[in-house]
Amino acid sequence: MSSIFRGKFATAIKIAILAITTAILSLLAQSAFASGESAIGAFLVFAIVALNFTYFTKFSIPLKFFVPGILFFIAFVIAPIVFTVIMSVFNYQTGNYISKPASIEQVLILGVESDANQTTFDLVAGKDSNGDYAVLVSDIANQRFFISTQDKITDVDASKLIINEYGVATTAPGFTAISDNELAANDAYSKIRYKYQDGYYVKIEGQGVGAVFRQKIAYDAKTDTMKNIITGETYINNGKGNFALEGSPETVLTPGWRAPIWFENYTKLVTDTRFRTPLIKVFIWTVVFSALTVLSTFSFGLLLALALNRKMRGRRIYRSILILPYAMPSIMSILIWGGMFDSEFGAINNILHTHIAWFSSATFARAAVLLVNLWLGFPYFYLICSGSLQAIPSELLEAAAIDGANPRQIFRRITLPLLLQILSPLLIASFAYNFNNFNLIYLLTGGGPRNSLDGEVAGATDILISYTYQIAFGRGMNDFGLASAISVIIFLLVASISFYGLKKSKVMETFG
Amino acid sequence: MSKWLRENLWRHAFATFMCIFSLFPLYLVVLSSFKSSGSLQLDSFVPKELSWDNYKMLFSSPKIPFLSWVKNSLIISSVVAISSVVVGAASAFAFSRLKFKGKKFGIQLLLLVQMFPAVLALSAVYVIMERVYSFAPSIGLGSQAGLILVYLGGSMGVNIWLLKGFVDSIPAELDEAAKIDGASPVQTYWLIFIPLATPVLAVVCLLSFIGTFNEFIVARLFLVEMQGRTVAVGLQQFIGGQYASNWGAFAAGSILASIPIVIIFLSLQKYIVNGLTAGSVKG
Amino acid sequence: MKNRLLKGLALAATVSFAASLTIVPAQAANEILVWADETRGPNLTKVFAKKGDWVPGSTIKVVSFSSYDALKAALDNASGTTGPDIFVAGNDWVPALAKSGKLAPVVLTAAQKAQFTPSQFFDLSYGGNLYGVPVDVNNVGMVFNTKLVKTAPKTYGEMVNYYLANKTKKGLKAGLCVAGGGMSWGALSGFSALGAEPYMMNSDGTVNYNKSFDPTVFAKNVSTLLLDKKGKSNGFWPATDTGCQDNFLAGKVPFAIIGNWHWRTFAEAGFEMNIMPVPGVKAGTYGKMFGSVSGAFLTSYAETHGVSVSAKSLLTSFFASTKGQVAYQAEEGRPPAEKGAQKSQLVLGGQKAMGAAASLSSIPQIGAFLNTNKGGASYWDSAPAYWTAVLVDGKNPLVEAKKLAAIWKANVAAGKADL
Repeated sequence: MSSIFRGKFATAIKIAILAITTAILSLLAQSAFASGESAIGAFLVFAIVALNFTYFTKFSIPLKFFVPGILFFIAFVIAPIVFTVIMSVFNYQTGNYISKPASIEQVLILGVESDANQTTFDLVAGKDSNGDYAVLVSDIANQRFFISTQDKITDVDASKLIINEYGVATTAPGFTAISDNELAANDAYSKIRYKYQDGYYVKIEGQGVGAVFRQKIAYDAKTDTMKNIITGETYINNGKGNFALEGSPETVLTPGWRAPIWFENYTKLVTDTRFRTPLIKVFIWTVVFSALTVLSTFSFGLLLALALNRKMRGRRIYRSILILPYAMPSIMSILIWGGMFDSEFGAINNILHTHIAWFSSATFARAAVLLVNLWLGFPYFYLICSGSLQAIPSELLEAAAIDGANPRQIFRRITLPLLLQILSPLLIASFAYNFNNFNLIYLLTGGGPRNSLDGEVAGATDILISYTYQIAFGRGMNDFGLASAISVIIFLLVASISFYGLKKSKVMETFG
Repeated sequence: MSKWLRENLWRHAFATFMCIFSLFPLYLVVLSSFKSSGSLQLDSFVPKELSWDNYKMLFSSPKIPFLSWVKNSLIISSVVAISSVVVGAASAFAFSRLKFKGKKFGIQLLLLVQMFPAVLALSAVYVIMERVYSFAPSIGLGSQAGLILVYLGGSMGVNIWLLKGFVDSIPAELDEAAKIDGASPVQTYWLIFIPLATPVLAVVCLLSFIGTFNEFIVARLFLVEMQGRTVAVGLQQFIGGQYASNWGAFAAGSILASIPIVIIFLSLQKYIVNGLTAGSVKG
Repeated sequence: MKNRLLKGLALAATVSFAASLTIVPAQAANEILVWADETRGPNLTKVFAKKGDWVPGSTIKVVSFSSYDALKAALDNASGTTGPDIFVAGNDWVPALAKSGKLAPVVLTAAQKAQFTPSQFFDLSYGGNLYGVPVDVNNVGMVFNTKLVKTAPKTYGEMVNYYLANKTKKGLKAGLCVAGGGMSWGALSGFSALGAEPYMMNSDGTVNYNKSFDPTVFAKNVSTLLLDKKGKSNGFWPATDTGCQDNFLAGKVPFAIIGNWHWRTFAEAGFEMNIMPVPGVKAGTYGKMFGSVSGAFLTSYAETHGVSVSAKSLLTSFFASTKGQVAYQAEEGRPPAEKGAQKSQLVLGGQKAMGAAASLSSIPQIGAFLNTNKGGASYWDSAPAYWTAVLVDGKNPLVEAKKLAAIWKANVAAGKADL
């Protein structure tokens, strides 16, 4: 048995596994570099080096245990966090979503205008006698036909053309038409501006159709400004991700880009009461919600475990039923609970013979959230507590009983402190889980009730994560930069509180 | 008899109360799954009709590949659960048993990172996986393999923390004894720790399985192909739609989808309870 | 030593093996990628399966999201790498997506433009550019249960009186409720019938920026029609939309606002499609409803993917054509936006009734006004909040109405700059 973990056989397995992993990762890294994803490629190379170095040297034994975990942790936990931190110093929001080069490109694409009649033509794409990309345009209204390339326009007499039943010229001397299939396969035809008159050009707008445009906006890279060629207006970089009209800062060209605004998102949160007040309110409720959830699920779970902590009739049946809430998909349970709390037709009001609008009142909504979370969470602590109770050495309890302690004293002095010691990491994990329990809030109340008429932006049951989600992904205006800043501030707050708490508590001592 | 009453009555009373509390919503789910109207309206606590329409719809409608959804969920959740335990257990063991520089920092980092409100991670992960798609579509956005990677990576911190908690509760005497016998940490890990921790690992595996099974916020962005969806995404569309909601089909689907989990739970319940603490090294 | 050699060899072998391979991304050429939600997606797939050659030389791939929200979330996150070439959605996403550079302009010929109304193009435009083609009309209508009410009500008061008279006798759960479109979008006609509008329209169809609704008149209507003597809700108009459809179908609610996407549910349940706008306080007036269009939008990714010509062709040859809309609406069952398709025999009676109701009193859904929250909250949040405040929390209808009017006024002012 132990030979599997020692000697040549073990080494062979180790090498085989590492070799396969390295092969796959190298393959991916190479493909990543080939398609220009150098950041991902670099990470993969780092992974290859880290894995091989750790397992083929005796550099660090603990690292042998950590490396795979660390790699996943960096890729999918740390990287998104770093992304969030970086985004918090940008005005990353609706209207300022893309990079600056992409924004300039888009502004130029949109910065064209049709002629006064919004003329469209029937046309055929192809190549002219020189082999250049060209279009054969039929201006049916004026009975004018011409072949146009990027730099020249040649009128063709109708008599030299083959004209189909719709009056559209299909071939002309020296012009090689391409089929629709060929056009579909080669988008290059559509990128070309085919010469027309008075500064206008023709662009392919679908198979067989072209429209007349002229460029209105031009970019000057030297001064980093946009200029309206026709009116002469200048749009200057306003430093906040937009080109704004000179003298009229409200008039901006869209789309803008995500520009660094450094700490503006943060200062807004601290100094502007419109952002600060709801944030503080939500933070307090988040802490209260998580703490009460842990407290309620733990106490109900523990009480149940105590109640069923002896051989009694029906224990198995009780246990089977009690873990059902845990075994059912929670997304379903939450939605069903949502239906049960409905004010008009819900089962809860039905039983209580009340007509409470649960999700319209802050207090009731909070109570409902806590109740549902109790339902979802107590079986977990019940299972854990009943297991832990059995793990407490019976000698200890017997000794205490012999010493004359009554059951309550035994529980208070021995069982509970022992349990808390064993379970404290799980209690902390539960707190952290509920701190970010997005699904519950999002699916049950959506964060509401929110008294919008009085300008409330955060709902009564909004926890930080649902509030942030609302800012980042809600309806209408989305502000990823602000949401990122909130995430960072929250993190700093929680980190310092937890850090202080951990230092004070005994939990950390066991880590030493 | 009075002694029995004194000692057991409150136990039965409390347990019964909690059982009713547990069963009540589930009863309503069952009730609505047999209603042909597809409504969630709970007008009566007594079943008024017994219609199998909702169940039939799940298996007969070509628009609803329910069995594929279940299969997808089972595969994705199993792979994530097993892999995350394999990867996480090693880290948890190291955190719990080995002494090394930066251990305290590592543990604190692990704990604090979990408190990061990572809702924006969704955007970041989306961007990352979109880029992965550009060079390796089979593990990028839109693939089940990609989703598995995201789940695995995203849950790494939580799982290590959870496993660490369990591992801490396993007495260290045995592996310390092994250490004295001259076993290396790697040998201790494989020969002493893993056999001892199997119940614990199984439980964390199960927890991770359930967590993955329930996830839909990320999955709905990754698995858009009708055949490739998970149960959570598939069922959510019955009621999350903007146009109409069919609670009946949702309820029926949820019941069927949770049957495998409930069976696992019930058949392993003793094992789970023991595993959740795994403190007993009596044998 | 031997061990190390072995390791070295194995590594060298694997690395050279890996280096000899490269993954080739599977990217179908000439494929137009269309994103849609859970109902449109499968229907489009069906239509394209029957006839896929709408654009010569291109194939069409439809991706159906599991919900409208999922589609929105994916669009918010997607970049050119995986993003769609065309997507089908409501018009209210246009301003935000256009501002963020995700949409590309579309140019139609004069003949194509003639097949739609100018207001439909207005809905799909931002900053002077048209970003998509109108596909179908979204609106709601009020339907009444002829087993309870014999003739169409002429005024709002008539409906309230019927409800109060029959409330206990017939076990009515509400008088008028919202079965489709939710308490913001669908419920507008309920608001508007009593005199509250998110923005005011001139008779020529333009927006009147100088006027907003009169909170005094509106609050007086709310007090007399929806509240009892103690100022509590009389139950006629519930503050939530849950269960409305079930109650209407069960004959427990005489009037319901339904959406044009699910009138079939009601028709199949045996209800006559007496569809009309919600009657106003005075006879002959009606509550306004949003008559918006859904569109097929061109994204800026189409150019990145090299299919801009094909995608534009698909918009005109399928999404905006008579043939395409008829084929699509045969599956989807909504009122088509295109004039030729509207005349088609294939369009059903219910679809036409919804269209007729909309023509009586609909206003465009102007995202710039409704989505902004410069006044403190957007239309979408503030509208249902009013009903909660007054009908559930029992707050003073006039005080709340004044707040609402102030919010909407500020939003219209802010939205005007954003048009």
